Amino acid sequence: MLPTICSITDEELDLDGLLAAVSLPSCGAAAIFTGLVRGVTTRGEAHRTEYLEYEAYRPMAESKMKQVADEIRDRWPTVEGIAILQRVGRLYPMTPTVLIICTAAHRDTGVFDAARYGIDRLKEIVPVWKKEVGPGGESWVEGDYIPQPGE
Amino acid sequence: MSNAMNHVRVLFFATLRDRAGMKLLETDLEPAATVRDLKIFLAETNPNLREPMKSVLTAINHEFAFDETIIPQGAEIAMFPPVSGG
Repeated sequence: MLPTICSITDEELDLDGLLAAVSLPSCGAAAIFTGLVRGVTTRGEAHRTEYLEYEAYRPMAESKMKQVADEIRDRWPTVEGIAILQRVGRLYPMTPTVLIICTAAHRDTGVFDAARYGIDRLKEIVPVWKKEVGPGGESWVEGDYIPQPGE
Repeated sequence: MSNAMNHVRVLFFATLRDRAGMKLLETDLEPAATVRDLKIFLAETNPNLREPMKSVLTAINHEFAFDETIIPQGAEIAMFPPVSGG
């Protein structure tokens, strides 16, 4: 049974612990993506962020994370362990908010693409939202992806 | 087929919760009511929801649902804007 962890959490993301949990003796590579709260934005409309407030529709979010993990395994059968975690609550700049780990035997197995797919897909179908609070007030960040039947 | 009303829970998230002014609405729908019927009902009963109902995403029992979807008995429905996690 290959290890799969999908979770919404209020706790600090334990990068080392999660990597250990999805590593097997057969793994020689792990692609790890983590997103951080960006305090200073220069791309687009430059602004500062004091903190982000995340919320999730937890049961559906965890179910959709499992779907993302299944999609990764369908596309990259060489992937061994998968971790997909989203932290919620009030998170300050430089704090990890999301973590995707894919492990495999070797680095040339598509493991980088698999982790990239994981974060891109999470941002499409996993029901999590964030409100940005800065010097100018607060505003919800809205995505633009409209899921289709079967997603 | 029973003609009993369908008692459902509607959860609102993010901008939808702000607009609705509530997290949860429990209501009775006609049997065989669709997601579109629910949107029309919400837009008519809460003027703040009239505009968001045009673009809201809907889920039924943790799966995305669409205007034509018939709402099953006792469903947990969720309404929210496009997701923005990560």
